[in-house]
Amino acid sequence: MTELILQAIYSGLLQGGSYALIALGLALVFGTMKVINLAHGELVLLAAYVAYAVESGLNVNPVVAIPIALLVVCTSAVLVYFLVDRIKEDRELNSLILTYGIGVMLTNAILLIWKADIRSTKSTWLQDAVVLGPFYSMRSELGFFVASIVLMALLWWWLARSWYGRAVRAVASNRDAAKLMGINPRTTEIVSFVVAGILASFAGVALFSYGVIQPPLGHALTVKAFIITVLAGVGSIPGVLAGALLLGVVEALTVTLLSSALQEIAGMGLFLLVLFVMPNGLFGTAARRG
Amino acid sequence: MTPRNFLVVSALALLYIAVPMLLGSNLYIMSLLVASIAIGGVALAWALLGNLGGMVSFGHAAFFGVGSYVSALLVMKLGLPVFAAMLLGGAGAAVASLAMLPTLRLKGPYFALAILAYAQIFRILATEWQSVTGGAGGLSNIPRLPQIAGMDFGSKIGNYIVIVTIVLIFALIYQRIRASHYGTALRAMHDSEDATRIVGVNSTLLKAMMLLVSAFMTGVIGAFNAHYINFLEPDYGFSGLWSTLPIVAAIFGGYRTILGPVFGAVVVYLVDQLVFKSFIPSGHQIMLGALLAGMVLFSPSGLLPWVVRKFGRGRNALA
Repeated sequence: MTELILQAIYSGLLQGGSYALIALGLALVFGTMKVINLAHGELVLLAAYVAYAVESGLNVNPVVAIPIALLVVCTSAVLVYFLVDRIKEDRELNSLILTYGIGVMLTNAILLIWKADIRSTKSTWLQDAVVLGPFYSMRSELGFFVASIVLMALLWWWLARSWYGRAVRAVASNRDAAKLMGINPRTTEIVSFVVAGILASFAGVALFSYGVIQPPLGHALTVKAFIITVLAGVGSIPGVLAGALLLGVVEALTVTLLSSALQEIAGMGLFLLVLFVMPNGLFGTAARRG
Repeated sequence: MTPRNFLVVSALALLYIAVPMLLGSNLYIMSLLVASIAIGGVALAWALLGNLGGMVSFGHAAFFGVGSYVSALLVMKLGLPVFAAMLLGGAGAAVASLAMLPTLRLKGPYFALAILAYAQIFRILATEWQSVTGGAGGLSNIPRLPQIAGMDFGSKIGNYIVIVTIVLIFALIYQRIRASHYGTALRAMHDSEDATRIVGVNSTLLKAMMLLVSAFMTGVIGAFNAHYINFLEPDYGFSGLWSTLPIVAAIFGGYRTILGPVFGAVVVYLVDQLVFKSFIPSGHQIMLGALLAGMVLFSPSGLLPWVVRKFGRGRNALA
């Protein structure tokens, strides 16, 4: 039993890497634009389906699809930005409705193009077992976990050191002051959407490489990303990573100990618990209360 | 008779006498009408929450499903009369909305996201709790609406009369709330919640009340639908469509008006069923998404207010 539990924790941690990438994309866009992109999970799913299309069309390893996924998803993300940017009145409410509508469109477009069937990779190389001490995982799980940690380190460096990264943080903390310093907030917003698209592309290809995908998944991914941001409190990269790992572990333990059908409820239970007990998140300090 | 009263009386006559007489024999049209008005009722409840409470909900499917299951089970397992069970279905949905209360204290888009997450829970519960809900197989042979005093409410025309009456009562409740001092406080909250709090309005309590009212209304409509369709399964009762269609309808008809969402629902549902569905059978929701996005971008306050403005009748004719 202990072995099973430890194995579940290990798998959950690996899963948490992709979750963190998705949640960071959501948080980044919210930071600069104060807009929650409800179609974010669908963008991730789009990348997963691009990987599926490349694998089944060209008969190659889905990892090869990453550049194409980057192109498709970042273009879509920028399109979403330009649509959201057109909203002038009551932006908070209307942008939610708009991105919800875009999400519905994307889900159904995926349904129309790739049908409702459940898809997973056929690559045996990706699915081969990797043994690390007492723990087992698929090669793709471990590989993408390492990749997501590297991406997060790059993101941290970019936000902390590069000009654009610092501009993104400046706009997030005070838009008007950032403008006075000569930062064009619109450019920064587009940059944040593109970076969110990059993270979503990797997460999407990862999901297809070690899991199963189907059209309604996009919605569930947005929800997970949101749960993570609530767990993490006001965003820092380590906080989001910790929240994502926690969600991954809780889900994996639920599947091992109870039933796979209850996986979604576990995340939700965690979410409600945090909301009731620690409304500022597990790692947050700043008040989010109204 | 003032012109306004005359308008009300003729509208009621049209709804209760002319429509059943002219269309009552066409069962297909009647069933489309009943379904569209039911969605109109949910759209009205959604708009109440959005307009008065300032909250966007992407989870009304949860309230719809809870209402339908509670009512169907009360009638089937405990033998309660259908109309009483429908009210309790609404109450059940209101109770289900209580779990959302902690999110009301959060600022910004957290409520919208929380309810998005929340909506999924009940579908899973309905699937997993097999001993009570019948699991994924669902419930069949849910009792239809009863016959009372010689009037068969289970017939197509009877169903129509019931749903029209429910939605009209909801519209009246909505109008009363909006006209009361609660309505004034809620309008003020829309401009500045902080300022409203400072003058002594308990904004969280008011928002919670709007959530309860909206959930109750949605639950009653869900209960009606269960007894109308006579069948329930988790994927149907908690289908995302019960969240999406009302939003599209309310935005289309104008969510700041009372009856706009209902008109919007009739138009959107008929177009969806008769046009979109015949072109794209499996992914026709793509058109609903496009319609929603288009409306928000080009006329966020809805088509109906736009038409009224454009062809300038009395400004408050519909409100």
